[in-house]
Amino acid sequence: MSNVSIKAEAAPRPRSGTSNRAIVGWVLHNVVWIWLAILVVFFGLFNSFFFTVFNFQNIMVQATVLGMLATAVALPLLVAEIDLSIPANLGFSSAVGALAVTDYGAPWWLGALFGIAVATAIGFFNGLCITRLRMVSLIQTLSMMIILQGALLALTQGKTITSLPEGYTWIGQATIDGWPIMPLVFVVALIFMAVLLRRTVLGRSIYAVGGNAAAANSAGIRVDRTKIVAFTIAGFLAGIGGFLLASWQMAITSNQGSSFLLYAIAAPIIGGVSVFGGRGNVVGVFGGVMLLTVIQVGLAIIAVPSFYVGMIGGVMIFIAVAIDAIRVRYFQ
Amino acid sequence: MQHMTVGNAGTADADILRIANLTKTYGRFSALKSVSLSVRRGSIHGLLGENGAGKSTLVGMISGQRQPTSGTITLNGIEVQGHDVKEMEKAGVFLVTQEPMIIDHMSVAENLLLGIWPRKGWLIDWKRLRRDAARMLQDTDIDPGQRAGTLDAVARRKLNILRAMFSGGRVVILDEPTASLDVEARQQLFAFMRRLKAEGVTFIFISHYNDEILEICDAVSVLRDGELAGGSDDVGEMTSDMLSELVLGRGLSLFQRQRRTFGADEAAIVVEGVRARNVAVDAFRIHPGEIVGFAGLPGAGAKEFARCLFGLVHAKDGTMRLEPNSPAVKLPGHPFEAYRRGIAFLSDDRRKDGLVGHLSIGANMSLSSLPALSRRGFVDVEAEREIISRYFAGMGVKAPNPEVAIDTLSGGNQQKVCLGRVLATEPKLLILDEPTRGIDVGVKQDVHRIIDELSGQGVAVIVVTTDSDEMIRLVDRVCVFSAGSIVGELTGEAISKDRLRQISG
Ligand SMILES: Nc1ncnc2c1ncn2[C@@H]1O[C@H](COP(=O)(O)OP(=O)(O)OP(=O)(O)O)[C@@H](O)[C@H]1O
Ligand SMILES: [Mg+2]
Repeated sequence: MSNVSIKAEAAPRPRSGTSNRAIVGWVLHNVVWIWLAILVVFFGLFNSFFFTVFNFQNIMVQATVLGMLATAVALPLLVAEIDLSIPANLGFSSAVGALAVTDYGAPWWLGALFGIAVATAIGFFNGLCITRLRMVSLIQTLSMMIILQGALLALTQGKTITSLPEGYTWIGQATIDGWPIMPLVFVVALIFMAVLLRRTVLGRSIYAVGGNAAAANSAGIRVDRTKIVAFTIAGFLAGIGGFLLASWQMAITSNQGSSFLLYAIAAPIIGGVSVFGGRGNVVGVFGGVMLLTVIQVGLAIIAVPSFYVGMIGGVMIFIAVAIDAIRVRYFQ
Repeated sequence: MQHMTVGNAGTADADILRIANLTKTYGRFSALKSVSLSVRRGSIHGLLGENGAGKSTLVGMISGQRQPTSGTITLNGIEVQGHDVKEMEKAGVFLVTQEPMIIDHMSVAENLLLGIWPRKGWLIDWKRLRRDAARMLQDTDIDPGQRAGTLDAVARRKLNILRAMFSGGRVVILDEPTASLDVEARQQLFAFMRRLKAEGVTFIFISHYNDEILEICDAVSVLRDGELAGGSDDVGEMTSDMLSELVLGRGLSLFQRQRRTFGADEAAIVVEGVRARNVAVDAFRIHPGEIVGFAGLPGAGAKEFARCLFGLVHAKDGTMRLEPNSPAVKLPGHPFEAYRRGIAFLSDDRRKDGLVGHLSIGANMSLSSLPALSRRGFVDVEAEREIISRYFAGMGVKAPNPEVAIDTLSGGNQQKVCLGRVLATEPKLLILDEPTRGIDVGVKQDVHRIIDELSGQGVAVIVVTTDSDEMIRLVDRVCVFSAGSIVGELTGEAISKDRLRQISG
């Protein structure tokens, strides 16, 4: 009745203990935060100024604009698309808003709102192109990036917009008890995104669309609509970021925002947002933003000669991404 | 390892494959617990077991897709340890996985010869590739130049099977190859297996259909909860009941619906004048509480018509009336619209458009019900949890909890989650394309009972199935499709194995 032939002596292979595995798993899951902690200690040992309240405030302010951009970039990534035009959108929309104030005499708040509206509209337009016209987001947003960078240059005629009214620059300069208030906007944006992604139908739809668009579609989710909304919100966040950057720097250069491109895309990915869509969360994005900001600020504080800053920063990002890749393989 | 010298040359010759104390654990969970068995050279060895019993895990390790936690696999007297798929294929072991492995944007020909492309030095020999592919496809109506992404579920299945069959492998493993194959394709597959067997090829054949095991296999092993529950060297001495009992650990009571008939004057859902690609249905009626089966050859329009009703396939023309006195409206243009009207649909290809792999069981189950579970765009988490736990328990999904990623479930358990997702929307018209695809005999009866119960509550159910047994036991009426139209109907006693076989084979 039975064909079972048991070799009794075949010894079971040694196996690594479960608890060991759990620890490795925990470390790999929180690699961004651990890496962040290591770098903070490292920079602090080099220069104790790094541990001062003032420097902490500085880091938070620096993190704000990058944070707005990274949060914006995360949304198209979550629906398995990409938007490269977000930093260019930030620069262009803030210039449009500022020009409305400086050249056309609009009140500062109207100018700010106008800039944000333009940014939102650009995001919406990107969404339309990618869904209705089935354009490939990588190329469509790349060309949009070039268009917006060119438009910014044309708009400013290569000059830097300064002479921004006090109301416009208030949020970038105001402090309470010495604490800058600008980072609050980033915190609000994070909470907004967290609630959106976890608690709303839209958030669930975003994860489903990014995970498997065909399955999401036949589960009754309007895939195109979800993507358009994701791009639109991304534009909206970029617009706010643009206003904040201009307000903080009290100026808009003719290539405002462009330098953020790589960091804005690296931050969410380092924080665990998958480029294949459907994976990632707000806490991770926050971690990625903090990590990149600490690297930038830290390298400046320990006075690394500026020729090396780019290279060392790049290596640190590389390590973070490599560890993340190990994590993915480990949990396969 | 030092113990694994082959002691007896005689048995080593008779057995092409020996597995000893094979164990596989995922975290704290053991999917396979010290399983030992051997497979005779040139035989067809059946592998049976409930959903999640460990069948796919076992063949996954034999074929090098997964690595065992402990234990040994011996092929032709040589221990194969740490081999990957590529190396196992070189050693002659080919696996047809449970879910179709198709690269959508490649052509059919490229998919057929994936990784075993004929070469001319460094380059791929395209001419030979096309010729080989054409030869492999000669018994089918699949075009080798077609993009694989455009194929339906049945054709995708066939591609993977054909690749293994023509690979020249000495051990071919088929993980539920017949799920969703039509009768004719099934017989083709069996004929092919017999032919290769005569040439000395060994098969491991996984199926949830006892009759297939009895028809094609020489020996059989049954897994239960990761352990070997029993088996036989000679299938001739087994019966279907004995197999079911081995699988379940208890007797099986088959479900049989009390067939109902409906008068022409009774309220019905009426569909008229549907025109779409490969579909031309003038009129179709289904009553609340009725279960209608769709039968027909692949491409005859049954699946396509079902998809039209749900808005997944665009219909150029066509109206439907869900309530007797309401005006006729156009067919839904999108699944979102369909769900809003109370129409739900279960796809026959869960990997492609049934589930979102890395999301949790719960997130998949509530996905189609989100509009009903939310207020002003915010999901009511309490209500959602309630629905999830109801269908998680109701469908008997085998998993520690609903937070587990659906990717880690066995095929049959994934199917249960998909079914739970569509049932959770509480539809008026429920369209099920191969609802029990990959589901084990025990749970299949439960699913049939659930569908029967739903119809008792007034749900109209359409079942598209190639499983004649399921058709006979479950439906009130069969619509026969041919060339896109409904060409006939079977009711009562006329719904029989012979008639169904005539229609679809
Ligand atoms: N990557 C994984 N992580 C955790 N558990 C897993 C993983 N892969 C499989 N399992 C578990 O292992 C068990 C055996 O799964 P397997 O796929 O072998 O079942 P099966 O017998 O093929 O079932 P089916 O008939 O449904 O296909 C299941 O309980 C499944 O949940
Ligand atoms: Mg399986």
